[in-house]
Amino acid sequence: MKIYNKIFKNPWTYRTGAVLLATFNILLFYTTGRMWRVTNGIVSIGAFILEKIGLEPSKWYYFTTYRNIDIKTSESFLANPYILLNLAIILGALISVLLASEFKWKKIKSKKQLGFALLGGVMMGYGTRLSFGCNIGGYFSAIPSFSLHGWVFAFFMLVGAWVGSKILVRYLL
Amino acid sequence: MSKAIEELKLKRQGQFKKRSSQVPCGMICIVLAVAIYALSLQISTNHSTFWIIGILIGVTLQRSKFCFSASFRDPVLVGSTSLLKAIILALIISTIGFVAIEYSNSGGSESLDWIKTMGQVHPVGIHTAIGAILFGAGMVIAGGCASGFLMRMGEGFLLQIVVFFAFMMGAVIGTWHFEFWDKVLISNSPTIFIPDYVALPFATIGQVIILLFLYFLADWYDKKNSIMSM
Repeated sequence: MKIYNKIFKNPWTYRTGAVLLATFNILLFYTTGRMWRVTNGIVSIGAFILEKIGLEPSKWYYFTTYRNIDIKTSESFLANPYILLNLAIILGALISVLLASEFKWKKIKSKKQLGFALLGGVMMGYGTRLSFGCNIGGYFSAIPSFSLHGWVFAFFMLVGAWVGSKILVRYLL
Repeated sequence: MSKAIEELKLKRQGQFKKRSSQVPCGMICIVLAVAIYALSLQISTNHSTFWIIGILIGVTLQRSKFCFSASFRDPVLVGSTSLLKAIILALIISTIGFVAIEYSNSGGSESLDWIKTMGQVHPVGIHTAIGAILFGAGMVIAGGCASGFLMRMGEGFLLQIVVFFAFMMGAVIGTWHFEFWDKVLISNSPTIFIPDYVALPFATIGQVIILLFLYFLADWYDKKNSIMSM
């Protein structure tokens, strides 16, 4: 029971988390030849939904020119393994929080909070398409890939976070 | 099956008296995870690997309360860099790990392009800066980055489900507008893969040294500014 509490009840240190996340990213690259990314899978879900409602996102310039290693042209958007990875992260977090008996539905507190969540989410999502990646694909996997864009992304993400913090202090807190 | 779970439930309830145990639900979720693993094996072993690593990442993110958004926000708001330091540590480990894979795959030959072709190597330019500022500001306002909202969805934050859908909407609109940005900015920008300019061993050592320097810089900043350590 002591071991159970240590693993599933007590929080881990950031350092433990960092070492494990790096290890899993290395493991993913070693076994599948792909690195950890998040947005890639989310775009595929979005494109799949658009396809279902009758649009043709697969004909978009982005998918015809930059599809290359994401998914093969013949495959459907749902074949993208990054979708599975994202769902697994949600389920993994759920398992972890349940084993600690700490799961609780946390409601949205106000309309203001909802508005900022929508705004922030759209800004993040749109930003990822310009900068080739989110905090994972454009930073956590990009810097170890020796791509300069990872460093530039990190620096300007810091600038953005500073701007965001000012907005947060001014309007939300 | 349900009988076994009921028994387990009673057993666990005895152990956690204060709060009703959610361990049985956790067990059901583990069974679900294993079932999906078995299903994904039928698509390809590649997919099943993504699944199992995803579960492990999800557990790690939740247990260690790992938040990229906070790692950038806390130095500004409260002067704490403990998360930032952890991320820098992860970047050092990943760098060394990726390079090790590069060498093991090339088998000592000259063709070192595993990371370059399969890794996250993309054009860099003004678009990177615009995107990153939008992303950085967005994640602080929304209260979660891309890995953060996935994790918090699992924890039961309804707000993060909103963030997820907003994120998807933004990313899809961005994909739709991509042609415009590509023609204006991205297609004129170079893709800079550092080992193309300095040999990989030097690039590796150089990057590790820079990251170590940033680590100690963050450590110094924390000691000087953190409201926690005072």
